[in-house]
Amino acid sequence: MFPIAAAELKMLVRNRLVAVCAILIPLGLGLVFLVQGSADGAPTIAALQIMLMLAMGVYVTATTTLAARRQTLFLKRLRSGSVSDGSILAGLVAPIAIIGLVQVLIVLTALSVSAGAPPVNVALLLVAILATEAMFVGFALATAGVTNSPEHAQVTTLPLFFVVLGVALWITLTGTEDLAWLKRVLPGGGATQLIMTSWAGGDLSGVLLLLLPTLAWAVVGVLAARAMFKWEPRA
Amino acid sequence: MTEIVLETQNFGYTYGGDFAAVRDLSIQVRRGELYALLGTNGAGKTTTLETLEGHRKPTSGRVSVFGGDPTDRKDIRPRVGIMLQESGFAADLNVRESVLLAGAISGRTDDVDRVIAAVDLADKASTRVGQLSGGQKRRLDFAQAIWGTPELLFLDEPTTGLDPSARDGLWDVVAGLRNEGVTVILTTHYLEEAQKHADRIGLMHAGRLEREGTLTELVAGETSHISFIAPAGVELPLPVASTVNGVITIDTDDLQRDLFTLLSWADRAGHTLERLSATSSSLDDVFRSLSTTATNS
Repeated sequence: MFPIAAAELKMLVRNRLVAVCAILIPLGLGLVFLVQGSADGAPTIAALQIMLMLAMGVYVTATTTLAARRQTLFLKRLRSGSVSDGSILAGLVAPIAIIGLVQVLIVLTALSVSAGAPPVNVALLLVAILATEAMFVGFALATAGVTNSPEHAQVTTLPLFFVVLGVALWITLTGTEDLAWLKRVLPGGGATQLIMTSWAGGDLSGVLLLLLPTLAWAVVGVLAARAMFKWEPRA
Repeated sequence: MTEIVLETQNFGYTYGGDFAAVRDLSIQVRRGELYALLGTNGAGKTTTLETLEGHRKPTSGRVSVFGGDPTDRKDIRPRVGIMLQESGFAADLNVRESVLLAGAISGRTDDVDRVIAAVDLADKASTRVGQLSGGQKRRLDFAQAIWGTPELLFLDEPTTGLDPSARDGLWDVVAGLRNEGVTVILTTHYLEEAQKHADRIGLMHAGRLEREGTLTELVAGETSHISFIAPAGVELPLPVASTVNGVITIDTDDLQRDLFTLLSWADRAGHTLERLSATSSSLDDVFRSLSTTATNS
């Protein structure tokens, strides 16, 4: 896994267009939200920042990368070695996930400073971020299964991208009181609430009910990928 | 008895449930052999090779490599080097990094500089793969397959796109590997390469193994040819098979006897046979007769 991850990281950094799309744009979009930063609004801003950055930096980038590696038959080459399919996928996705995590941590640190309101429960926030990343990686694997090329990824990632961001926006605008159950189980709903709760603090009794749907979506993504993922264009 | 390295028994592969790319294929390859699998376009060679490499599971029959399942990457793959007919590169890695990556996932160890030098890419070690020519990429492909001197080497059309000098270089490396006991499975459209390097040859057509044997066994019974331009109006001692642009061709099942007959006749009569050429039966003839027979049947 590690040699593949190291090679993938090199490729990501060396290709200027990919580097801009995967690193600078999500980071820039995340930082834009800082303009709105205030102590009261920090949990909402943090949730939107994380969902947007991970949706773009992890979900879209990972889907595009997997489709590109398949289209160029690089996946087939990797499968000619002695490493398992799981290790190959982990090696390809790990750098993207790590960059996504670093981006989020940079932006959240800036938010904490600019809003003057750091997260109350940092450990829970980290759990929320990692669970959200796992969900987006699962979605990326599933979406890559129906994505024939990097260009195609621009279309196939749109539905989930907008659904997840739409749900996050819906929750941050309308709160969690109404339709609580629905807001929790929709993709990204549990994750958004988890981030807001960890930042604002308060009652943690419902944390598991937020974490479970997020992880469940990650599992759904992985199961869908197992059924649909293709290693070769003509397979 | 020499160890069987690779074996298929009634192996078949069907795409999408209805297109049978390979049917009822049974072959055995012994340690140290170079076995060439040849065939017409779409004969099923690459599907066969990719199944033997462990990229596909047979849809019927049995396939084994080193007595095990070729899809077993942990135990089988470290003993196998694979040069695919078509596979991708990471365009943004350089040659050295690409070879190192392939080495790292191969399960074998080697010296990266030795491997790059073996395929004559030492001066391109720092060049990004995206900037290499087609022939250089093919050599890089070969470098990745031979990393760590595998016990079994699959070469799927290895010299396609290579210039004659690079081809010779590749075959020199293969010869060196064979001296170390490496078993080689080859597919190629260059019949002269199979003729020159293979110990045994399997000929496939429409998914089936039509013929198999050594070159001598395969060409036995095939027709040899004598061609020349004779003086106008002379009566030849042998029946003429064809005349094209004045060049007469005689087909023969006994090249030495009929050539002697022809030359004795010309010597006695004082005739000069211009552009005289005698050609033994070759793999080309076997291949063409296979295609024709299979098409007509």
